[in-house]
Amino acid sequence: MKAYRVANYLRTLLLICAMLMFGTTLVWAAPEGSPWGKDYFPNIELVDQDGRKLHFYDDLVKDKVVVIDFIFTHCGDTCPAQTASLTKVYKLLANRMGKDIFFYSISIDPKHDTPKVLKDYAEKFNTGAGWLFLTGKTDDVTLLRQKLGLYRTGVDAAKLNEHKTSFMIGNDATGQWIKRSPFDKPQVLAGLVGRSISRSPDDKKENLADYSESTVIPKLSKGEDLFRSRCESCHSLGTEDGIGPGLLNVTERRDRAWLARWIKTPDKLLAKKDPIAMALFKQYKKVIMPNFRLRDAEVEALLIYMETNGKATQPDDSNK
Amino acid sequence: MSTDNNASDTVETVTVNNKTSGFKVRATSNLAMAIAATLSGYLISATPVQAAVNIPTDSAPSPLCIAGSCATEFTAKMLMFEEFGTKDISSSTSSISTHSSYTTTDCFGNVDGPALDKFLSEDLTSIPSRKSDVDDSGKPTTEHNPWEAKVKSCLPATVSLPSMPLDGRPGGEDFAHQRWSEFPTQVAFQSAQAGARVNGGLRDKRQLHDYKKGEFGPNGLYYMDANGDGIPGTEGIQIKIHPNLPTQKPQSVWTFDGTLPPKLLMAKYGEAILFRHYNALPLDPGSNGGFGKNTITTHEHNGHNPAESDGFAHAYIYPGQFYDYHWPMQLAGYDSINTDKSDARTGAPDGNGGITRVRGDWHETMSTHWFHDHMLDYTAQNVYKGNAAMMNYYSAIDRGREPADAQDVLGRPDLQGVPQKPGYGCHYNNPNNANLCLPSGSNMDWGNRDYDVNLVVADKAWDNTGQLKFNIFNTDGFLGDRATVNWEYKPFLDVRARRYRFRILDGSVSRFFKLALVRERPLTDTICKVASSKIILAPARPVTTITPAEPAKCYEKITYHMIANDGNIMQHAIPFPNAASPDALPEQSIAERFDIVVDFGGMPAGTKLYMVNILEHTTGAGPARYLPLADVLGTKYKNDGVSGDPVVGKILEFRVQNYTGTDFSMNPADYVEGKKQMIPLNRPTQTELKAATQRTFVFGKKAVADTQPWTIATDDGVALNADPHRISAAPTTGATEIWHISGGTGGWSHPVHVHFEEGQILYRGGKAPPIWEKYARKDVYRIGALADTGGSVDVAIRFREFAGTYVEHCHNTQHEDKAMLLRWDLQNPGQTQAINTPMPDWDGVKYDPSTYLSTAKFGDLAAKKKFVLPAGLLP
Repeated sequence: MKAYRVANYLRTLLLICAMLMFGTTLVWAAPEGSPWGKDYFPNIELVDQDGRKLHFYDDLVKDKVVVIDFIFTHCGDTCPAQTASLTKVYKLLANRMGKDIFFYSISIDPKHDTPKVLKDYAEKFNTGAGWLFLTGKTDDVTLLRQKLGLYRTGVDAAKLNEHKTSFMIGNDATGQWIKRSPFDKPQVLAGLVGRSISRSPDDKKENLADYSESTVIPKLSKGEDLFRSRCESCHSLGTEDGIGPGLLNVTERRDRAWLARWIKTPDKLLAKKDPIAMALFKQYKKVIMPNFRLRDAEVEALLIYMETNGKATQPDDSNK
Repeated sequence: MSTDNNASDTVETVTVNNKTSGFKVRATSNLAMAIAATLSGYLISATPVQAAVNIPTDSAPSPLCIAGSCATEFTAKMLMFEEFGTKDISSSTSSISTHSSYTTTDCFGNVDGPALDKFLSEDLTSIPSRKSDVDDSGKPTTEHNPWEAKVKSCLPATVSLPSMPLDGRPGGEDFAHQRWSEFPTQVAFQSAQAGARVNGGLRDKRQLHDYKKGEFGPNGLYYMDANGDGIPGTEGIQIKIHPNLPTQKPQSVWTFDGTLPPKLLMAKYGEAILFRHYNALPLDPGSNGGFGKNTITTHEHNGHNPAESDGFAHAYIYPGQFYDYHWPMQLAGYDSINTDKSDARTGAPDGNGGITRVRGDWHETMSTHWFHDHMLDYTAQNVYKGNAAMMNYYSAIDRGREPADAQDVLGRPDLQGVPQKPGYGCHYNNPNNANLCLPSGSNMDWGNRDYDVNLVVADKAWDNTGQLKFNIFNTDGFLGDRATVNWEYKPFLDVRARRYRFRILDGSVSRFFKLALVRERPLTDTICKVASSKIILAPARPVTTITPAEPAKCYEKITYHMIANDGNIMQHAIPFPNAASPDALPEQSIAERFDIVVDFGGMPAGTKLYMVNILEHTTGAGPARYLPLADVLGTKYKNDGVSGDPVVGKILEFRVQNYTGTDFSMNPADYVEGKKQMIPLNRPTQTELKAATQRTFVFGKKAVADTQPWTIATDDGVALNADPHRISAAPTTGATEIWHISGGTGGWSHPVHVHFEEGQILYRGGKAPPIWEKYARKDVYRIGALADTGGSVDVAIRFREFAGTYVEHCHNTQHEDKAMLLRWDLQNPGQTQAINTPMPDWDGVKYDPSTYLSTAKFGDLAAKKKFVLPAGLLP
């Protein structure tokens, strides 16, 4: 016990020295006693979209706050949704990206996803500093997925599409790791990455209400909930384009039945070479709109939501 | 003592089941795995040799021998729970001006034990108030987190934060204590969630039995003088999973006071409790031995408590802070039933053989609870790490006081026949008596624990140095490979040859149990030679083939009774084993409590009995199958961690000792179906149910794109992750509702827990519930693949007295943490504004607006149209 206290005392001293050296950021590798450090993670070699060779633990994880997901670029449904969701989170954390926070999207289909292919993919999503798209040996990547709890035994090897879409958020300095889903709210995810798991001294607090101010709360319709969790990472309800087009007045611009089919089975429309679908596909960097396996009632709820909320409030705007 | 050892040696040699004694088999299996891995080379080791079981989850076996010191089963004496011990509130706040400071020694959770004990033994440092931000006279609260300077030095990123309040409860009206002046606090206690340390004897003087009475007294079975200084108590106990295994570090185990034994709160109805819970965990979030979050919130499981004291997952506190939980201890129905306290059965022990009457419905009397951490995303890690305590409710019905003699049974009548101690009189003698006289003891007016024993069963795992470990990456569930009872690896418990009550809690993260109870007999006993469904020969073979020379044993399935399900005493005692559950108790999932009465009476001293787990897991996703008891006790099932589950098998040994008293406790056989009734079920009426709002909750996967992580789809809506902002259901206080809970397909099982109110099961798997649920009030509704469970539960719930923000979630806490949790708000009639979402931080709690699902108010109308009410059972 005594020896332990001395050790901790020394560690505190070290910490203080470290603080003096590096300013106010807390810096040390995976903490003493944490099993989630270099002994746990395979230090496998990966290659990023620019062809740089990087070792998983030493170069990518050590002392960093990271978000790690697994993708493959020709994946129809889930990967674009994953990446689009992370894009939103990325924007919220932009000032820290590449400094203390890093995103890694690692391909589970290395044969197809060469650095060149990954670079094209990254460009589709307008990613920036601190977000690497990586590939490596299949077995290495499989081992990594197992270690990160993102591998589904039995199913995975055969079917890329059945891969786990969740991602891990980790802070190597504190040894904290947590699994999240691309269907979480981007603000919540950004809060988790940027605040809960890795506070930065120059963080600005969001505008939270004081307890004295209370508001009548909004009611979430089924359509709005779907829109928020499934559509919003790529589409706005205004004119602004995201990864996909802005949807202002979309229910008036498009035939309702067509729109319903497009929302429900975008993959089928593309397979049939539907002209509007093909045009959109080309216009928006060939990012495939995911098939979320929505039921008819859910598609209808989405349409109603877009009809009531996706209309311009100013008559002028509707002419645009 | 030496005879004891000999006896256990005999068991070691002759008991033919899992005599792995851990180490040998471990060694072989490791060797086998190593050879296989070498043979198959690196590529295959990347996808490891497929063992039939993945236990401990994605991790190496927990060694039973460390540095030459070995733990063997049934050599550790089981720890009895230690009472917190409450103080009268008037004495507890009388001298609030003088108190020692509450300090930590460093950033890493190494607490100065004596200083913490001193602090906790003193009175509360401030008078509890209705709102956390102003005191009850309206003056703003200004107390700062005493660790503020320390926080800023340990966590430089917090330097710029303006202030750090001491009280971590969200401020304002949303989290103000409800009905604060109506239920004034009468007793209080405080504890700090802290890293493992040596027990300093903080609570030695706070035990009701005072180590003087009955089995806790000097000549009793449970007397304790841990450090041998002649002064009784737990002072000196270290946190060890077995006496021969290493002491846990402050970073490995976090628990109440930071000490063992596990803690117990003893509470009386009508006596409102204030629990001030301090967070004394490491400031450095990484000083956690690989798992555990240093922010906490405390949920009193199934307490009829207002929401601000329910431990909402997003109302958590930081190190240095406290949270005041106010538990009113009132019966459901307080506002509408027995409001004039006219019912003599509705009450609590008065300390002198009488009953202090309370309001409400005595049919709602609860008995066995627990409280534990409920931190959003981290419940599994924190509870596994030790943030869990048990809580016994004492009432007129369930007083914890059996008769000392025949006069007590009658309530000690005077010469005119008028009972002088009506609270002691037994219901079995006179149906007008409230006291069920369950086995307990008789040295005190209430709360005797001589023959009323809390048991928390849980699986654990540890690393090569013996420190507790957890796999945070595998979110299908986490399984440990070592069975523990009350934190000890496979302990033994001395019992008297009489009736006992055991309050069994499954305190695991992902493991379900199915527990059998068997008496071990020498083969020479006549009973072993007669073929019977009650007798198990191990290994199984025809009786005639056994030679007298053979040093084998047989096991007798003794009869015992379940008296309470989820801590609520049922209408009837249910005998086990029974036709519907021939080998063992029903499946018991995480957080479920089964109270059983076992009669050791008539068994000679030296008799051994075992609690045996027959439920196999292969992964943490859910249980795999029920094993035949004979296979488990025999050689057929290999619980070696490679081909079989190492937590299957015997987990607790009972050693019978002589009993010289007379057992006047109730005989549960008098209360089986068709005979006397314990607490008749207050069933909802057809009218109530017809008017009920109905809701559907589908746990698990829905569409392909939603496979991960865990989701809940409410009222035929979208499958959603947890979001503390989103109100998925908003029942109205005073209403009865029907909730349809389903899911659990494809090998997953989900123990679904609804906070605040227990419910009655209308259907399980579309059929009438099994006999042990027919008369039960439940708060955990298992859904899953196996026979005791099934894919759906339909339940009726009455919501009364309080309002606010509660949750419903899967109690496989790895599923819960990975988003299988939803928020529901209980609202007052006509309420238009919802509770805002608390957003705690070091510098205080702010609020975010909340949102509703569109179905939150009226539920699932289509389901309501379709649902057929059960006819037979209802009035």
